[in-house]
Amino acid sequence: MDNTSKLLRIENLQIYKGDTLLLSIEASVAAGEILTVMGPSGSGKSTLLSWLSGMLDPAFRASGKLLVGAQDITQTPSHLRRTALLFQDPLLFNHLSVSGNIEFGMQQGKSSSKKQRVLDALACVGLSGMEARAPKTLSGGQQARVALLRVLLNEPSVILLDEPFSKLDSQLRQATRELVFAQIRQRGLAAILVTHDQSDADAAGGRVINLSTTGADKQC
Amino acid sequence: MIIQPSFFTRWVSLSPRILISLLLVPVAAGLLGLILPAFGWLPALGENTINLRGFAAFFHTPGWTNMLGLSFFTSFISTLFAVILSILILGNYFNSRLLGHIQRILGPILVIPHAAAAIAIGFLIAPSGLIMRLFSPWLSGAELPPDVLLPNDPYGLSIILGLTLKELPFILLMALAAMQQNEIKQLINRQYKMALSLGYYPFTAFCKAVLPSLYPFMRLPIYAILAYSSASIEIPLILGPNSPPTLAVAVMQWFNDVDLSLRIKASAGALIQIALTLSVLLTWRLLEQCVKRFGFSTFTNGRRQYGDLCWKILTHTTTFLVLFFIVLALLGLVLWSFAGFWPFPNAYPDQLVSLHWNSALQQLPQTITNTVLVGITATAIALFFTLFALEAEQQHQTQLGSAASLMVYLPLLVPNVAFLFGIVWVKELLGVKAVFSAVVLGHLLFVMPYMFLSLAISYRKLDLRYAKVAASLGCSPFKVFYAVKLPQLLPPMLFSCALGLAVSFGQYLPTLLLGGGRINTLTTEAVAIASGASRRLSAVYVIIQILLPVVGFILAWLIPKLIFRPRQ
Repeated sequence: MDNTSKLLRIENLQIYKGDTLLLSIEASVAAGEILTVMGPSGSGKSTLLSWLSGMLDPAFRASGKLLVGAQDITQTPSHLRRTALLFQDPLLFNHLSVSGNIEFGMQQGKSSSKKQRVLDALACVGLSGMEARAPKTLSGGQQARVALLRVLLNEPSVILLDEPFSKLDSQLRQATRELVFAQIRQRGLAAILVTHDQSDADAAGGRVINLSTTGADKQC
Repeated sequence: MIIQPSFFTRWVSLSPRILISLLLVPVAAGLLGLILPAFGWLPALGENTINLRGFAAFFHTPGWTNMLGLSFFTSFISTLFAVILSILILGNYFNSRLLGHIQRILGPILVIPHAAAAIAIGFLIAPSGLIMRLFSPWLSGAELPPDVLLPNDPYGLSIILGLTLKELPFILLMALAAMQQNEIKQLINRQYKMALSLGYYPFTAFCKAVLPSLYPFMRLPIYAILAYSSASIEIPLILGPNSPPTLAVAVMQWFNDVDLSLRIKASAGALIQIALTLSVLLTWRLLEQCVKRFGFSTFTNGRRQYGDLCWKILTHTTTFLVLFFIVLALLGLVLWSFAGFWPFPNAYPDQLVSLHWNSALQQLPQTITNTVLVGITATAIALFFTLFALEAEQQHQTQLGSAASLMVYLPLLVPNVAFLFGIVWVKELLGVKAVFSAVVLGHLLFVMPYMFLSLAISYRKLDLRYAKVAASLGCSPFKVFYAVKLPQLLPPMLFSCALGLAVSFGQYLPTLLLGGGRINTLTTEAVAIASGASRRLSAVYVIIQILLPVVGFILAWLIPKLIFRPRQ
């Protein structure tokens, strides 16, 4: 596949902390593809995600370009990038119901059609009838699914996954992972998954960048 | 932990009860000493029937509705302004370095006594004040000070300005303190990032994603401020109208009147003050509910921005204005304190003289000694009991229950015009003549809660493993306390002492009432000369009032550096 058809491209990225080079990456992700970035803590995985989402801490310095389709979004503010973040904590709002949390992610639109889409989406992930519940009353796996729907119904073009499965136990982990990956492929999103777990990388099935070898764009 | 009983441990387990009694008994006695006279029972004046004469007299006072209205609206509106401003500043400068700078600038403003702040603001906005001078005559065209009643305007606008400026740093710093606690910090940072990545504009992201988690931590400080400002004395006394004044000021004037029969009306007024404070709090609660009910659908309506740019510009402007105002007020004080001949509309005095400083420093040594002595005594007592009460918590591995915590803060929540006069009455009833110890006790009621509040945070964060290691090496609980815990706590202890001193230096009403006019501190003197006399001399007093607590904080910062200086 040539680079022009890729949805997301990272060109010549180098991130420095002070004067030391933290990481150096060149990568591209096609629609429906999941790129996995692996590495031990401190290798700059989270820093990479901060840069991708436009929230790099001022302590770091970065050079390089980020393109979504043909558009250069390197200097675009976070909220205009359409790169949605999914954290390891579900971060659901306790003052909103399950459906309220999902609607928070959706674009403006007619309330009734939004409600219907939320109900359909909940049914898709096996959470029918949960829409009015308070997030606190849900199990960990259910909360993770609600957080996923909040991001998916936002209709981003890129999804950034920050160790989203690390807080789930192994049984749940596998099921949630399959659900997330299936949804990403089905919706044709470009996804970047940051993890330190090899089984996540295997399940993603895409290319893997290993950050422990400082910057080498290694293919598996 | 198994603790062998010794004198020390027995004393420690008693001290929380002593601490609470020290706060509770005077407040309770004070309230009792208020309720009885309010219903007409004042044996000293030969009144020993229960009736509603006091309330009847109150409701016959000309302009009593104005008094209530003034107290209610100045406190409510100023708090509302301070909260809105805090939210604007927090939201627009969230995760920005500016927030740290604003915190460092506003922090010191917090320790300026209310009386000093009120006087400085009064100077600034007066017709011949620095603001008018800066814009005259080139902009305003005024060759003479304009004929407007400022401060002391009948609508209480000056009071609102003074209260807002004093409340803003408090709410802002309390919110920042909550935001800097590790757990909350992580949660709100991630929620904010999540909202940004879902396309929310920054300020909208703050309001929709961060504020709902943050507001619960701001609620108590806001309530404390509502309660305080609805019954405050210094700011309305110096900046407010005189006829009629706010309710709290009127009650104080009736109590201090030579006509002792006015005391019955004053007591009734003080009870009405409590009701007024409660109604301010209830109204705020109602406002919260309304915002919750009508604002809720906006969380899920999907709108990504509400004129974020406008809010940003508004925030820049108001933040600049607030800082400009504060700097100008301080600058004005310094100029007045050295001013010789300074005709309007010049923005700078014709000559600078040290005359006012000389005369003030000749008059003041006794006053400064009083201020410092009362402050140090109250702070020392408060430190003593606070430390042991917190040690008791740790030895028994329990935190003070919510009822006990509430009692610690009781003197800050009950309007102090209400119970202080009752204390005076009880004191007279018991025939207590002591002046100094009465003033110290009065100050203790306000010094102790603040010191407890600030020291408890550090004490509860102590790494208990050190204490356990020491105990396993055979140290007694007493030795663990003074040789292991206290050295680790030195910096927060000193900070809390500086805070205690600052609180004590700023007390007006307790000094005035319990001292019976026989103990003058800087604050009572400053208020006394604020209304008349010389603006120049007032400026000197206010500057000394500001410098005194600052010295305390500088010492608190310096001493640990000297003691813990790495040895070569």
